[in-house]
Amino acid sequence: MPSEFPMNNPRNIWQSQPTEPFKMSTDEIRRKAQQLQRKARLGAVSWITIGLFLCVGFARTFARTHEVVPRIGWGLLSLWGIYGAYQAYKWIWPGKLPLDATVGTSLEFYRSELERQRDYVQHVWRRAGLTFCFLGLAIVLVPALIQSLGAPRLLRNAVPFSVLAAIWFAIFWPTRKRAQQKLQQEIEELRLSGTENRS
Amino acid sequence: MSQDSLYRQAADTYGPSLDRLARAYELDPDARRDLLQEIHLNLWRSFAQFDGRCSLRTWVYRIAHNVATGHVIRQRRIRSRLVSIENLDTMPGNDQGEGAASQAEALERLSMLIQRLKPLDRQIIVSYLEDMDASSIGEITGLSPANIAMKVHRIKNILRRWFGEGGFHAE
Repeated sequence: MPSEFPMNNPRNIWQSQPTEPFKMSTDEIRRKAQQLQRKARLGAVSWITIGLFLCVGFARTFARTHEVVPRIGWGLLSLWGIYGAYQAYKWIWPGKLPLDATVGTSLEFYRSELERQRDYVQHVWRRAGLTFCFLGLAIVLVPALIQSLGAPRLLRNAVPFSVLAAIWFAIFWPTRKRAQQKLQQEIEELRLSGTENRS
Repeated sequence: MSQDSLYRQAADTYGPSLDRLARAYELDPDARRDLLQEIHLNLWRSFAQFDGRCSLRTWVYRIAHNVATGHVIRQRRIRSRLVSIENLDTMPGNDQGEGAASQAEALERLSMLIQRLKPLDRQIIVSYLEDMDASSIGEITGLSPANIAMKVHRIKNILRRWFGEGGFHAE
């Protein structure tokens, strides 16, 4: 029965709100879709370029260095650059992503999005190739720091960097763990809803 | 039917509903315009693989809600503050007492309520407000009709509290 008090009937309120017609033609939509595809490609290309640039830069330093230990460090950092470029190609190159939001139900879509986010949080270290990065940095910096033990000024200069790195580590792990737990909890709730449907 | 004509038909039939749906997910007018555009783009793209296994309406709403859900998920800080229908139903302090003074105020109150919900629950309340029955909502969300019925029952309770006992007819 329709309400005599439209202001107190949420369905009336909702449906009678003013709406604006969507004015894009199919040709404009097609153009926009192509434009977005190009933009996404450009974004991916810039990340790949940054990765390759770092790779070449570190490789040049690798070639110019003669001591074995720092060479290993620069080599690892160079690998990190190429790994970053590969990861950018793998994860953000358009067309490599599934055509989102089309086939599954909302429950499946929402769950898969949360799982994707959880996996991202879980594997962010591996995906960013941070092992290469930190190991390379350590191999390059630690011998230099040891050598500079005789010159306290150099050591003092390294303190801000070390403090920042320590703070980053102290924040990174708990934050990552908490985000992962929250996502997992929500995924479990959704999984339960899905199981209820099948039973 | 071609991709373009399917899209045209969907946009003509469900255009106003999609506009309202975008409002349920985004309050900021500029961001809402972007979201609506994203919904239409995905809709157009999706019709390249529409196989008619579900109705046009189910297809359109599924895509629209999924795109909007993606939009909410990207706003991680906002998502962490969202609650479920069950939480909202048991939460004290939602009672607004008497009915709203104007249509605009009532709409603002309703939008505020919707914006507090998690994406899946938001879909259910929006579909309910768009006059859909439990089985249609189930087709879109993937939840069972029993689950939907329970949630709709809670939605009615919440709406009754937010919009006053007298005026709201929950059928």
